[in-house]
Amino acid sequence: MHAIKRLATGKNLSLLLALVAFLVPFFIEIPGLSEAGHRLLSIFLLAVILWVSEAIPLFATSASVILLLILFLSDVAGQLDWAWGMAGFPEGMTAPAYTTFFNTLASKVLILFLGGFFLAFGAARFGVDKNLAAIMLKPFGTKPSRVLLGLMLITGILSMWMSNTATTATIMAVVLPIIASLAPDDRFRVGLALGVPFAANIGGMGTPIGTPPNAIVLGALSKVNPETGEIIGRCSFLQWMMFAVPIALILMAVAWVLIVLMFPASKKAIEIDMNVKWVKSRHATIYYVTAIFTILMWITGKLHGINSYVVGMFPVVILLSTGVVSAKQFRGLEWDVLWLVAGGIALGVGVSATGFDTWLVGLIDWNAMSAGVIGIAICVTALLMSTFISNSAATNLLAPIAVAVAGAAGASAVVILAFVALGASMAMALPISTPPNAIAYSAGTFTTKQMVVTGAIVGAVGLIINYLLLGPLLRMAGVL
Amino acid sequence: MNAIAILSIEDEPEVREAIRRDLRPFETKFRIEAAEDVADAREALAQIEDDGDRVGLILADHRLPGETGVDFLTQLHGDGEHAAVRKVLLTGQADQQDTIRAINEGGLHHYVAKPWQAEALVKVVRDELTEYVLRAEDIDPMPYVAVLDGPRLLEKISRGPRID
Repeated sequence: MHAIKRLATGKNLSLLLALVAFLVPFFIEIPGLSEAGHRLLSIFLLAVILWVSEAIPLFATSASVILLLILFLSDVAGQLDWAWGMAGFPEGMTAPAYTTFFNTLASKVLILFLGGFFLAFGAARFGVDKNLAAIMLKPFGTKPSRVLLGLMLITGILSMWMSNTATTATIMAVVLPIIASLAPDDRFRVGLALGVPFAANIGGMGTPIGTPPNAIVLGALSKVNPETGEIIGRCSFLQWMMFAVPIALILMAVAWVLIVLMFPASKKAIEIDMNVKWVKSRHATIYYVTAIFTILMWITGKLHGINSYVVGMFPVVILLSTGVVSAKQFRGLEWDVLWLVAGGIALGVGVSATGFDTWLVGLIDWNAMSAGVIGIAICVTALLMSTFISNSAATNLLAPIAVAVAGAAGASAVVILAFVALGASMAMALPISTPPNAIAYSAGTFTTKQMVVTGAIVGAVGLIINYLLLGPLLRMAGVL
Repeated sequence: MNAIAILSIEDEPEVREAIRRDLRPFETKFRIEAAEDVADAREALAQIEDDGDRVGLILADHRLPGETGVDFLTQLHGDGEHAAVRKVLLTGQADQQDTIRAINEGGLHHYVAKPWQAEALVKVVRDELTEYVLRAEDIDPMPYVAVLDGPRLLEKISRGPRID
């Protein structure tokens, strides 16, 4: 009871702090920052405190951000002369229409993500995830280190298409009985329970729909630069996979070697009891065909010219029209995730529409730094932030800044944003770092310290891999 | 701390002690309360709820001084607030009539005959508490993965509200 009270006051305190932080820029004058920029700073500070503290749900903060942007920085503010009225924008800039901010709730990346939700929904409903796991694990035999490699690979591959969280829960359900079959002092118990969440975190990097941070940076990328009138950068579904999958695979291999070395098995062989049972109903068949069709369409965008965002709508239409996804199930999809992402995109729109970005990056002399140094600095920031707060929230806050920094330093926005998304996904040093970590920790087979040591090493190696490979891979994928 | 409690009702001290011993695997995650009779159980129930906790499972003996275990379960089941509580009879003395009443009117979930095997009781408790956690919409299953039926709880977690 006392704990609840403490928690409640903690939340109230955060809300109060957010309110104060929101008000402060109204009463101080920051040289060089426009009035609109001050208001944006208010909203940004509020977002920082609420996304970090989770005093209200992440998606509620997103909704608040969108509403505040509309009330204080869109043309609606012009109607509010009795209150705060229109803000002074920097020269050559005007307040965006309020619909600009509403439109982020239907951004193309959200539709892409929705398509991913439909595929993930069917995978769980028809047990495709478990079947694929069973089939893929077979060739790895019974040697413990190989079983772990198989488990990590299938976890990584599934989490490229499903949420990292759902993937971890699904695979951990398979892993728990294996853990229970090991002797209590077998260090491999730790290895198994660490390998799965790590693989899920890393696998999420692999595709644009793998995890919300990817969608957030793609959303930031598709924003129009107010000066040139062109979108900031492009990266197709396949191009994303071309740079992110190799990095994910290498990092997974690193994690696997590390875990095998640190937590060797004392048992010689591990049997996994998994049956493959394909559901053969009409609905299941429609789903299989739709899923394969969608994924093929996603990675062959260049051949047919339908971009991945539009392809994302295909599974939505097919599975809804055929009743594979019912009205009730449709309502039950993760709309909160979409709104969370929208808030980040809206904040990004606000940041550039008010010239806040120009002011912010003007504080530092970027010419002295190379794109690689800036990229790695922002990657470290993303990694550190998302070690303690939600990866999506960290990306929501960092993506707008990353775009501005890229512009100021003359670096490609794609590179810097990729550093942000991948950096956020590499955070796995604490049980609270990601839901996959928390789920695995709940199995009670490893200590926080064991996770900190392995997770920090994986994150550090990830930084090095990103620094060395991201540039070349982006060039190879034709993004640069 | 919003804990889930297990409430056992047993009049014989040695048997009460045996139950407590068998429930030890659940000690880390659950509040465990033992009552001597129904009046005592009502008090314990009120205390638990006063503390902001809730009862998830009742392990009741049938023949007790005063009201019987089946009476208590029936009354609890009908009061509208405790329908979700998992109810187990742990007894050797309930006749067929009592047992039928416990099922039909007391919402009985499981019957464990005395004398019992520790392992079997642990399994029943684990299954019933898992069921309780799965059915409650406001309980996060995660803290219970290690103690209860992990794979079943993980299934719910995979459909849960956590965002990457």
